[in-house]
Amino acid sequence: MTRTPKTPAGGKGGIQRRQFMMGAGVAAGAAALGMPRLARAADRVEISFASAKFQGTETIGNVVDTFNESQSKIFVKYIELPPPSSSTEVHQALVQQLARKNGSPDVFTQDVIWIAEFAAAGWALPLDEYFGGVKSQFFDGTIDACTYDGKLTALPWGIDSGMMFYRKDLLDEIGAKVPTTWAEMTEQAMKLQADKKVKFGFLWQGKQAEVLVCDAVSVLASNNAAILAADGRSSTLATDKAVEAIQFLHDTINKYKISPADVLSWDEEPSRAPFTGGEAAFLRNWSYVYVLAQDEKSSKVPGKVGVAPLPHFEGGKSAGCLGGYQYGINANTKQREAAVEFLTWMASPETQLRFALKMGIAPTRPAVFDDATLGKEQPFMQSLKTVFTGATPRPKTPKYPQVSLAAQSGISRALVTGKVKEELEAAAKKIDAIVSKA
Amino acid sequence: MTARSLPAAALAGPPRGAGWSMPRLAPFLFLLPIAVSLGSVSLYPILNGLWLSFTNTSLVTQEHDFIGLENYAQLLGDDLFWNAWRHTVYFTVVSTLAETALGLVMALLLVERFAGRSIVRAAMLVPWAMPTVVTSKMFGWLFDGQYGVVNWALRESGLIAENINWYGSIDHAMTTIIIADVWKTAPFMALLLMAGLQTIPKSLIEAARMDGAGPVATFVHVRLPLLMSTLLIAGMFRALDAFRVFDLVYVLTGGGPADATETLSTLSYKTLFSALQFGYGSAMATAMFITEALIAIGFGFFIMRKMRAPR
Repeated sequence: MTRTPKTPAGGKGGIQRRQFMMGAGVAAGAAALGMPRLARAADRVEISFASAKFQGTETIGNVVDTFNESQSKIFVKYIELPPPSSSTEVHQALVQQLARKNGSPDVFTQDVIWIAEFAAAGWALPLDEYFGGVKSQFFDGTIDACTYDGKLTALPWGIDSGMMFYRKDLLDEIGAKVPTTWAEMTEQAMKLQADKKVKFGFLWQGKQAEVLVCDAVSVLASNNAAILAADGRSSTLATDKAVEAIQFLHDTINKYKISPADVLSWDEEPSRAPFTGGEAAFLRNWSYVYVLAQDEKSSKVPGKVGVAPLPHFEGGKSAGCLGGYQYGINANTKQREAAVEFLTWMASPETQLRFALKMGIAPTRPAVFDDATLGKEQPFMQSLKTVFTGATPRPKTPKYPQVSLAAQSGISRALVTGKVKEELEAAAKKIDAIVSKA
Repeated sequence: MTARSLPAAALAGPPRGAGWSMPRLAPFLFLLPIAVSLGSVSLYPILNGLWLSFTNTSLVTQEHDFIGLENYAQLLGDDLFWNAWRHTVYFTVVSTLAETALGLVMALLLVERFAGRSIVRAAMLVPWAMPTVVTSKMFGWLFDGQYGVVNWALRESGLIAENINWYGSIDHAMTTIIIADVWKTAPFMALLLMAGLQTIPKSLIEAARMDGAGPVATFVHVRLPLLMSTLLIAGMFRALDAFRVFDLVYVLTGGGPADATETLSTLSYKTLFSALQFGYGSAMATAMFITEALIAIGFGFFIMRKMRAPR
């Protein structure tokens, strides 16, 4: 909670001060004077909006302020949660609030992986009634991710996916094309490293945390493998294709030596820093890196960074892990109409465009994607459209947190010990035990 | 009560029954507030946690049924749990021993008179006063595999040829965490032991010196035996605290790589708050409580023996 709420009429602080003075004054007088005060407070419906912290040249608080200033019926109080890199903390904060079933926060944003869980727990209000008609205006993939058990329980906000950042200048120097397969990328990375052009060929995230699952899903899906079977009732983590994919991640460190062993303890930011510091050729990360890479002040590589879909295996196709945060309405909210109105505004093309321009949050409406201003100001987002086409969701199950923890442990073990098949088999067994109970 | 009956009652004295029960009841009445407050903030959560450990409560599945000892049966066969249990015990033993040894050395130095002693004493407490999360971040940068100053110093001095991947490899991750913990907590041990050293009468040390005992003999035969009960109590405090290690692991490694730094606190945290399995997580917490109780009993046994023994 960082921003002081602003209201056009006098400010909230003024109202509170007045209430306090009345309380301190003569009780009988306060009762008599109470009427106008209530009338004042009631002229705005207050709802709370909890979201993970996103940063750019603007904050979510700025956007919420605009909504508050744009109309006089609803006042939205913004509650800032930790940034998406602290996914567990955000999840925990939301669950603790939602489980109390007292309607607070009224509106929230959720990582795509929690949609099934929140819907199954009955905390997310089904939205078909309010947004069913506009479903077709969003990417099919995000709508699919927002649907659980046939009901729309979340509304798309921003799409993100794992993608490959590369150094345009370095690829030009060695006369190479942007790699589309892992083999091509490995070859180029090894060459650039051997030529002492960079310290690291390829950076990714292997910390035993959610981000490891994201990296794993990207390589798995690019080899037609997955953590869970399509029906979500069993694990497919030990298939030959899956083992081959995870083996590749292990090889980047131990065989090809294009990744330092440090990636095993790195999440997003530690891996981003060497790349924007000009020390790495390729980086797997989320779209936020682009804005930072272009920043003249903090980056050593502005103008030299390109974005492309992640490579794939022979016979597979690129599959960045689908991420992004989506809106949800608390099933227990007492201000349903206000919440719906706020979300309608937040999910509008105009607001999506602003999130895209100021915070690098890619729109979930294809129409906004093709907007001329967006193309002019952030040409890279156009190239992201192809990146997002192949975005692959993580396993869709209400038991996702448990599945993820088991996968994190198993994949981390596989990567560290090198006994890939053995460890993945053990992990698959554990995941089977979790999902078969559901 | 009317005005007329008052003096009569006063003359007659308090009725026999009331006078008999009041003094007996009074101590309990005085104890009631503390009993209620301790009961509500300490006893109730423990009992509730114990109760949860016999259920399959989960926020995700919304189940809340009594399942007896099923969680504990599952716990016995859960290699992740035993893995974390071993790490926790290892961490507790190594860090407590290292901190006690180092703290003792620091205490022996700081109890002597020298110029600027009070400044050194105050400065010594800085690591202890620092929030653990700050320590964790700090050590994260110090021990960073690529850019950390520790690797740089070791490389420059020729001790290592290649960077050590401090918390990204199974071999070093736990050691790194123990080093951070020792840096942070040794001063606390030093403080406790210094207080113990100051209670040893100067006359005993002077007498030893007059009998011709050198500093080592004085330490081994006079100071150490007299310091023993303080050492045991300080060690117990530290061991019980070390057993709950959480922040360092959580910030530095998240329990990885390959579960190599997973401790009971981080594992039960993940189970309770990430996977939201309150039943199973509570069983884990109860197992942790039992292990801690065993540690406390072990120390308590030696402390009691020490205290009863004639000096």
